[in-house]
Amino acid sequence: MTTVVDVRDATVALGDRPVLHGVDLRVRPGEVVTLLGANGSGKSTLVRAAVGLLPLVAGEIRLFDTPMAEFKDWRRIGYVPQRTTAASGVPATVNEVVASGRLAHRRPFRRTTRRDKEAVDQAIDLVGLADLAEESVTTLSGGQQQRVLLARAAASDPDLLVLDEPNAGVDRRSQEAFARALRTFVASGRAVLLVLHDMGPLAPLVDRGVVLDAGRVVHDGPMPLPPAVAEMPHQHGHGDDTDVGLFG
Amino acid sequence: MTILSLDFMQRALLAALFTGLAAPAVGTYLVQRRLALMGDGLGHVALTGVALGLLTGWAPVWTAVIVATLGATAIELVRERGRASADVALAMLFYGGIAGGVLLTGLAGSTAATLNTYLFGSITTVSTTDLWVIVVLAAILVVLAVGLGPQLFAVCQDEEFARAVGLPVRAYNLLIAVMAAVTVTVAMRTVGLLLISALMVVPVATAQQLTRGFRGTFVLALALGVIPSIAGVVFSYYVDVAPGASIVVIALFGFLLAWPLGSLVRRRRAAVRSAESDARLAGAHVAAEQHAHQHDERCGHPGVPHEDHTDYLHGGHLHAQHGQHYDEH
Repeated sequence: MTTVVDVRDATVALGDRPVLHGVDLRVRPGEVVTLLGANGSGKSTLVRAAVGLLPLVAGEIRLFDTPMAEFKDWRRIGYVPQRTTAASGVPATVNEVVASGRLAHRRPFRRTTRRDKEAVDQAIDLVGLADLAEESVTTLSGGQQQRVLLARAAASDPDLLVLDEPNAGVDRRSQEAFARALRTFVASGRAVLLVLHDMGPLAPLVDRGVVLDAGRVVHDGPMPLPPAVAEMPHQHGHGDDTDVGLFG
Repeated sequence: MTILSLDFMQRALLAALFTGLAAPAVGTYLVQRRLALMGDGLGHVALTGVALGLLTGWAPVWTAVIVATLGATAIELVRERGRASADVALAMLFYGGIAGGVLLTGLAGSTAATLNTYLFGSITTVSTTDLWVIVVLAAILVVLAVGLGPQLFAVCQDEEFARAVGLPVRAYNLLIAVMAAVTVTVAMRTVGLLLISALMVVPVATAQQLTRGFRGTFVLALALGVIPSIAGVVFSYYVDVAPGASIVVIALFGFLLAWPLGSLVRRRRAAVRSAESDARLAGAHVAAEQHAHQHDERCGHPGVPHEDHTDYLHGGHLHAQHGQHYDEH
């Protein structure tokens, strides 16, 4: 069986400062794995190394059974960086930002295909922003912008989504919207690796938690659900403020 | 019209047209990645290139292209390192560009008047050779800015994401820097090296007062670059001032007109837009469209637990049973 992400004995340094010390991490197809840990424990560093943004000092990372150095199939990975905004110096519509998620499929100087357009529309629909597709991202709320970034990652139709703190600074309603979009993605049997500070409404989706402390893995296994979540009655996303964060 | 029957005016107007297209095309990407002042610095550096041409007798357009490109590459390498000293290093590069330019011009025995035609543009000095260089380089710039639009957009919007998609981000960054350098040289005959940055930035700033998206801003900025360029050259024909000054003043005037209009448009849009558009989240029950079959463990649609029930993935949507029908979840 393939392993989606296979990190073995990885050591990563930021500048001269080692941040991860011999970390192991595996994500199998269809699995939702959450990285947890205090600020500075190396969660973001680990996911950034896993998507090839940071080099390893030692150890090995394989993506879909291919060593990182040889991995070229970036369309199979959808990455949502840690961001508070999707804005830049020039306005861009939701549609335009999400369309850049198709670039792993596109070659320079080629026109957008119908398939590209459909994938972008589907991704925007997935996060529930179809009505705002032609709006400038700067006019959206923080939570809506976070969903734009999720749609951008989902637009490449990836087999793995990697999300870095998608709920940071996002209101409860938007967290529910985000969880709904992610649940739809997970339902199709694809893998997710995410960094969370506070599980929030994403808790029921998570299969396995990996807890980091000072750059080392201190727990790798099923996450015990807090009773508040397990017994929560059926609601349509207008949940009370049940704080289920492990470290929140 | 007598103005069009003059050879030098024909050349000046053509140069203005192509400069007016190329400068905002490249400028849009600089503004997007918040490097609006880069054109300014490159203009300073290009001055040394011009002076080198005056000194050696080579065509100043070409020496300027070479020196500005080297400068742009240096700027990009310093920026990429992201060190705290980068800011000061760039400042020194820019001072060096101006000082070196003035020094070399003096050594070449050229007058301040010659230097001025490069600093603020001059409608009478566009030679046929200059015009060809301007037209060809500007056309290449516009083709690159449009053809590589999606890639350059992604790199300027979110560098980290672009890298995770597998784009050669470093090569694109370098390309943008070199494009900016070439723009500076294309524009030095009309707006001049000291004011070129304005023609790269002001049309973009004006356009985004009225637009919502990147593509709209890009197209409108090109139009807003051409109009002041042509108008500025014509104005300079009647009133004897450097065309660079009149082009930039006209462009800024356009911005002053667009600004109040833009805030009016934005206010109206904000009023129309609803806060949250997804009914599935507002607690409302949204019934799934036509549903011929019953979802269960054997229906073939994958299920995912949702609180106390199971949602089924059907055509990209999650369906949950609700009485006799299905809701969108």
